[in-house]
Amino acid sequence: MMLLPYYLLLPEDKNSCMNTTDRYNRQMILPEIGEQGQDKLAQSKVLVIGAGGLGAAVLPYLAAAGVGEIGIIDHDVIEISNLHRQVIYKSDAVGAYKAEEAKLMLTALNPLVKVNSFTEKLAANNAIKLFENYDIIVDATDSIAIKYLINDACIVTNKPMVYGSIFRFQGQVSVFNYQNGPTYRCLYPNENTEAQTCTDAGVIGITVGIIGMLQANEVLKMILGIGEVLSGKILVYNILNNEQQKYDFDKNETPAITQETFEKQYLKTEKLIEEIRFDLVLDEIDSDEVLFLDVRNEDETPKIVLKNNIRIPLSDLENEINKLDKNKTIYVFCQSGVRSKTAAELLLKQQFKVKSIIGGALEMKKILETKVIT
Amino acid sequence: MIEIKYFGAVAEKTKREFEKIPFSEIALQDLLQDIEEKYQLESLSFSVAVNQKIVQKATAYKLISNDVVALLPPFAGG
Repeated sequence: MMLLPYYLLLPEDKNSCMNTTDRYNRQMILPEIGEQGQDKLAQSKVLVIGAGGLGAAVLPYLAAAGVGEIGIIDHDVIEISNLHRQVIYKSDAVGAYKAEEAKLMLTALNPLVKVNSFTEKLAANNAIKLFENYDIIVDATDSIAIKYLINDACIVTNKPMVYGSIFRFQGQVSVFNYQNGPTYRCLYPNENTEAQTCTDAGVIGITVGIIGMLQANEVLKMILGIGEVLSGKILVYNILNNEQQKYDFDKNETPAITQETFEKQYLKTEKLIEEIRFDLVLDEIDSDEVLFLDVRNEDETPKIVLKNNIRIPLSDLENEINKLDKNKTIYVFCQSGVRSKTAAELLLKQQFKVKSIIGGALEMKKILETKVIT
Repeated sequence: MIEIKYFGAVAEKTKREFEKIPFSEIALQDLLQDIEEKYQLESLSFSVAVNQKIVQKATAYKLISNDVVALLPPFAGG
């Protein structure tokens, strides 16, 4: 019967945006939701870690559906190369903090939702405290190391973790630690893993959009208590042939993770790995006291050619570590600064003097280009 | 026949998303070793599923005809 668009039927009352019955009507008339379900949503608190491609899909759907409180943690600022997939950001917001921009967008979308933004980096020293304030934790990050950190902090705080991740045109979704169910470590016990991120491997917006929406769907199902949560199952989706498969996995018998073991494992290395901006090491670029170590694979571009540089792909680093001189300071870089931190950790354990370059080759190329001009 | 499915970075290396091999019986560990050598997968980490279920200990697992093996590496993009 409704021929006019929904927005034309809204009363002109200035406060109409605060009218919950109208706003949520189309989902509340679902028997699975109703008034009770809408109340459950309003009382829920969800933390989304990462406001990039996945976050940009998860966040508006949670806010629009009326999740009462949403936390966003992301330390990055918006770059022009983010906009093709992080569709909640406008072109004129380039340079602004993602967490803050996302908060503005969500508040405009639904002022009934309380949004908390954090522009710091998620780390072992803030994770536990932050997680304690929320019911559900969404992993919308792009780093394997952070996924282990989130997983372990979820175990310590007893929160479910909604995992999503993509590789080119494929995506994975799962819910870990749901009602004491299997965790990320049960699926991937080998922590010393390297996998390419979007910056390294390429991505289109649709892939992160679909996977992010599947994550939002798991969040709503858990809150509402409807359907079947992807616990002990990983969904793998291929957008090129639309094939999707679910794989079951069991809980592993691994040593329990407690606050104590968590702190022991993370706070130690976190303090030790030093990161540095490339523009601050420009003075040393021609020095023989330093070595620039490129841990990308052979085929990755842009090529960075400096006076003292060497390329050893991260996967070969352990075997070829004797090619490096312990007397030199090693500045390690990869494409975007993620893998280089893994490499730095490895070198640190072998007593090298090492720093990881923030932003990797992409950032270095930008700085080198401006250096030539000036 | 045993079917093998490849995902993510593993499929990039094998340059195919699946293949069928004419075995009626083989130990999972032997099959994995063959694949790892053939496609030089040693730098990659992945979990292994048989018939849609992740196998936690590949050592003792015997495959029989019509089994479907999947190699699932972790993804990192987001």
